Amino acid sequence: MKPAKFEHQRMASLDEAVKALGNAEGETRVLGGGQSLGPMMNLRLAQPDVVLDLSKVEGLDGIEETGNAIRVGARVSHARIEDGEVPGKTGDYMQFVATGISYRSVRNRGTIGGSVAHADPSADWPSALLALGGSVTAAGGNGIRTISLDGFTVGPFSTGLGWDEILTGFELPVLGTDANWGYYKVNRKPGEFADAIGAVTLGVEARAVCGATESAPFRVTEIEERLASGVQEVSIAEVRDILDRYDAGFDDYELQIHAVALSRAVQGAFA
Amino acid sequence: MPDGATVQGIGASVLRKEDKRFLDGHGRYVADIVRPRMLEAAIVRSPTAHAEKLSVTKPDLEQQRVFTAEDMLSDGVKPIHVISKYPGHKPSDYPHLAIGKLRFVGEAVAVCLADTRAAAEDLATQTKISFDPLPAIVDMVDAAESPPALVHEQWGDNVILDSLFEEKASNLDRATVSVTRTFRMNRQAVNPLEGAAVLAEWDAREERLVVHSSSQIPHILKNALCECLGLRQNQVHVIAPDVGGGFGYKCVLIPEEIFIPWVAMQVKQPVRWIQDRREHLIAAANAREHHYSVTLHADTDGNFIGVEADIIVDSGAYSVYPHSNILESTMAGRTLHGPYKFSAYKVRSRAVATNKPPIVPYRGVARPGICFAMELAIDAMARKLGCEPYDLRMQNLVPSDAMPYKTITGGEFDSGDYQEALRRAGTLIDLKAVRSRQRQDEADGRLIGVGFGCYIEMTALQTSAAARAGLAAIPGYEQAHIRLTPDGGLEIGVGVQNHGQGMETTLAQVACERFGMDIAMVAIRHGDTATSPYSTGTYASRSMIMAGGAIARTCDVLGVQIRRIGAHLLQCEFDDTSIRDACVIGPSSAVTFAEIARVWHRNPEELPADVDPAGVEVTSGFRPSPDNSPFSYATHACVVRIDPELGHVELLDYVISEDCGTIVNPMIVDGQIIGGALQGVGTALYEESCYDADGQPLSSTFADYMMPGSTHLPNLRVDHLVTPSPLTEYGVKGLGEGGAIPPPAAIANAINDALRGYGVEVVETPVTPRRILEAIAGSKT
Amino acid sequence: MTELSININGEHIKADVEPRLSLADFIRDRQRLTGTHLGCEHGVCGACTVLMNGEPVRSCITFAAVADGSEITTIEGFDQDEPMAQLRQAFHENHALQCGYCTPGMLVAARDIVTRLPDADEDRVRLELAGNLCRCTGYVGIVKAILSVLEQRRI
Repeated sequence: MKPAKFEHQRMASLDEAVKALGNAEGETRVLGGGQSLGPMMNLRLAQPDVVLDLSKVEGLDGIEETGNAIRVGARVSHARIEDGEVPGKTGDYMQFVATGISYRSVRNRGTIGGSVAHADPSADWPSALLALGGSVTAAGGNGIRTISLDGFTVGPFSTGLGWDEILTGFELPVLGTDANWGYYKVNRKPGEFADAIGAVTLGVEARAVCGATESAPFRVTEIEERLASGVQEVSIAEVRDILDRYDAGFDDYELQIHAVALSRAVQGAFA
Repeated sequence: MPDGATVQGIGASVLRKEDKRFLDGHGRYVADIVRPRMLEAAIVRSPTAHAEKLSVTKPDLEQQRVFTAEDMLSDGVKPIHVISKYPGHKPSDYPHLAIGKLRFVGEAVAVCLADTRAAAEDLATQTKISFDPLPAIVDMVDAAESPPALVHEQWGDNVILDSLFEEKASNLDRATVSVTRTFRMNRQAVNPLEGAAVLAEWDAREERLVVHSSSQIPHILKNALCECLGLRQNQVHVIAPDVGGGFGYKCVLIPEEIFIPWVAMQVKQPVRWIQDRREHLIAAANAREHHYSVTLHADTDGNFIGVEADIIVDSGAYSVYPHSNILESTMAGRTLHGPYKFSAYKVRSRAVATNKPPIVPYRGVARPGICFAMELAIDAMARKLGCEPYDLRMQNLVPSDAMPYKTITGGEFDSGDYQEALRRAGTLIDLKAVRSRQRQDEADGRLIGVGFGCYIEMTALQTSAAARAGLAAIPGYEQAHIRLTPDGGLEIGVGVQNHGQGMETTLAQVACERFGMDIAMVAIRHGDTATSPYSTGTYASRSMIMAGGAIARTCDVLGVQIRRIGAHLLQCEFDDTSIRDACVIGPSSAVTFAEIARVWHRNPEELPADVDPAGVEVTSGFRPSPDNSPFSYATHACVVRIDPELGHVELLDYVISEDCGTIVNPMIVDGQIIGGALQGVGTALYEESCYDADGQPLSSTFADYMMPGSTHLPNLRVDHLVTPSPLTEYGVKGLGEGGAIPPPAAIANAINDALRGYGVEVVETPVTPRRILEAIAGSKT
Repeated sequence: MTELSININGEHIKADVEPRLSLADFIRDRQRLTGTHLGCEHGVCGACTVLMNGEPVRSCITFAAVADGSEITTIEGFDQDEPMAQLRQAFHENHALQCGYCTPGMLVAARDIVTRLPDADEDRVRLELAGNLCRCTGYVGIVKAILSVLEQRRI
């Protein structure tokens, strides 16, 4: 189980990486921590011609609060988030999510940017950050742009990044000290990928996400409306009815566990 | 504990002699060994479950580095061919590399060599194969009843063996209460953490083939190499170095163990193949997969009358060497009765072929399936009779005063108190407390259930039983070779293979017990055909019984030799000597083994001229007398908590009350039982090798195949009854496998107990959240 | 080929490696430090766990080229390390290993637990160990061993 041949290019700066990506011939993959890409390459499910290694690029691993946003660099590891480096209530939420991602030895290498750019439907961050709101920053041939997290994950392993763009970080909302959040991941072993995710935050707006679907995570507006109106509990049966109206391709079992996840996320938000 | 036990003898929790090298990172597994000019192998595998007209095209520039079945055939290599003497068994070849037909996804088609594994895998992707697809036989019931195709055309159907075990069936008329259920134990993978691995080279100086393999059965592998490659026994040397777990998978021959050595002989360079996890999961180590229709018959008082069953075992595409493809089906058919009394028995058992990998013996062989079927049927019967399942078991277990007990199918339970094991498990799990807790609803809406599983395990299969069953592999005696070394220590060669069981320690304890010596002075040598006595190897929970027995008996023979020399040195009569604390004790003085060894090896001039030249190096052996197997047994009991919204199961408590006879090393015994139990938890709740309708494996990585982890089993409690077996040295019984047998039964019974309010049952392993929720949903429709 | 400069167990090493070579294969096949094992090569089983700049990582899904400039400690590199000495003794006394294949990765992960989480209780230890598979022991001895070292280190 060894990867196919590829060319490894060690990037010294973001500019160099963006240029290299723009000029690359053949399939090119950007390597963050490599904890998702590594296994796929070992299994030869991914066979890039060129790998752009960001591990020596500086400036992508910062965490800073700037007024009403928190900037988190793409190369911030899950472990740093687990260890509480993201401040405030937003940090509490993200710490909870990070702690449940894989195992410490993977969290030490794996990065939040890599996870979101990779867009595995069962991964935590695409769902968790959609529930938080905010935006992705990306650098490409045409400079830096900001992309809303709403709709950023398009489908399995597919995002709104352009072919020549590198995800550089996130601008995330600061949850107020009294803001509620809830996150519920259904899996059978700590650290495993999720079978279902329910994620809820009540910041400036109420956001509720159904995640770990066959495709992209999605916001559930009916639940958000209820939360916005002050409802603090949504039964599993209600969530089932609501989710059933979405075209998520769930069978009965999947519908049930996603409904439980979201119902319990709401419950967790007000616990 | 026998008299004369020392702190390092039988019954002592001696810390393991083999630990240090593993703790320091100095274990040596096959993948850790390199040889000069060694090539790495990668294997082209079938992408389809069933096809014919296979054709292989080697890459243009690398013709010399790719080998196919045609190359092997033209060199006269014989396929693996395992015939059982069981009447009606349909024979088939197991080609090393596929010939003409492809019979499962992952079947080896060609082997590619390069300097690195990565480059060899590149070559494998450049090797093109073509074929005409055939319909795949995926489900075992379809294979038996309505096959869409034939795995082996010459048979006319897919039934490898159809056997009927019928005893006193007319007694079935006496039954007044019956329950019928259909059960399924699904396919899983064995998954020792080290997969298979082979390193082979032709040693031109020794003029022999040297094969390192991660094997439980080095001598059997040597036989197979000789048979398939046409070599003399003195031209093959097999070494199983450190082996990273086996659990039965490594007690069968795999094709790579033949074709890698053959390829190494062709290229005249060492060749190494390391099975990766995907290969392990899809192409090799599949196990279990039984289907049961069971009817349990009782009278109105709950006395079991008889059992009727139709069993189907999915044996996969081929027959594995040496245990064949009917080991599971015949064992399941013959011993479905478990530890219970029956007066009627009518069980049909069929082994069928499908387009999936051949199943291999896996810890417990057949018994996890039959225990699951019988124990769930018993709980169903208890529900029907409105009685406590615990009581129904107690009423029907073979009582201790019936020992030795002749089973309805002709087996013989040697010793034990099965009811006491159940009683103790019931006390430990505190059945009454669970029942009273169940009378209140849980505050969080979870459901509580308690379940039991009882089993018996015939350990160390013996010659006549194996021959009667028509098994392709018949074990016999076991030998040990012991040398008193010049410093007064012992070097003991055994043909069994230690791969985690702690035998470098426990087998040494047997010698310590016999001679009273310091365990540091005892070395166990194993895993090398050049330095150990012939043996069928390690499987069937046989090593302590057989190799331990052989060491004890050989110590006795050696002891006589040592005493003779000792008597001379002590100037006393032989009959006045004895052995204690590694000394020969005479009437007035003693002489140490070290002194005796010095004289024998270095100063023979001090010995009389008529000293026995056979000396202090002895090979002798053991077999139980009579030629029967000791039966281990246990009751497992557990309490589960089910989240009825997600279908998740949590084990709140787990207890085991077991009897493996005399315990050689309590620490290691507990380790074996607990480790086995967690594997059983995997079978019960997590592990499944799934296939789609076309026979494509869906569980090809650890992301898709869930292994039980550190959070999945609480600190279980293990309780021991000790009923020494009358058949063995020191009264030991085998215990390596037992822990894995009843967890699926105990856990599923606990789940069904928790679900009783819904009036539904789970009947299939693993009991996944989906299966639980689907069962619950079934109650609402 | 990619140039690599790396420190393994205190030894500075310069090498040219194929980009696709994993850190695990570099350690095992090029440096002949075979205590680090491969159990799955997709980052699940934990047998290949080593320290990279003091933190446990999966060497099977980390390319050697990406580890350029780092300090690696493998199971062979802990001879002078107090927590590892305690763990080795505790593993021995608690029968925390059988076949030994998972043991090096398990010990490296365990060292991270006892040094990073000095207050960990049994539930936490079990949670943290979920990323290291052992097929032999049922984890009971491993958990006991780690708890005993945590206890020793609190005194």
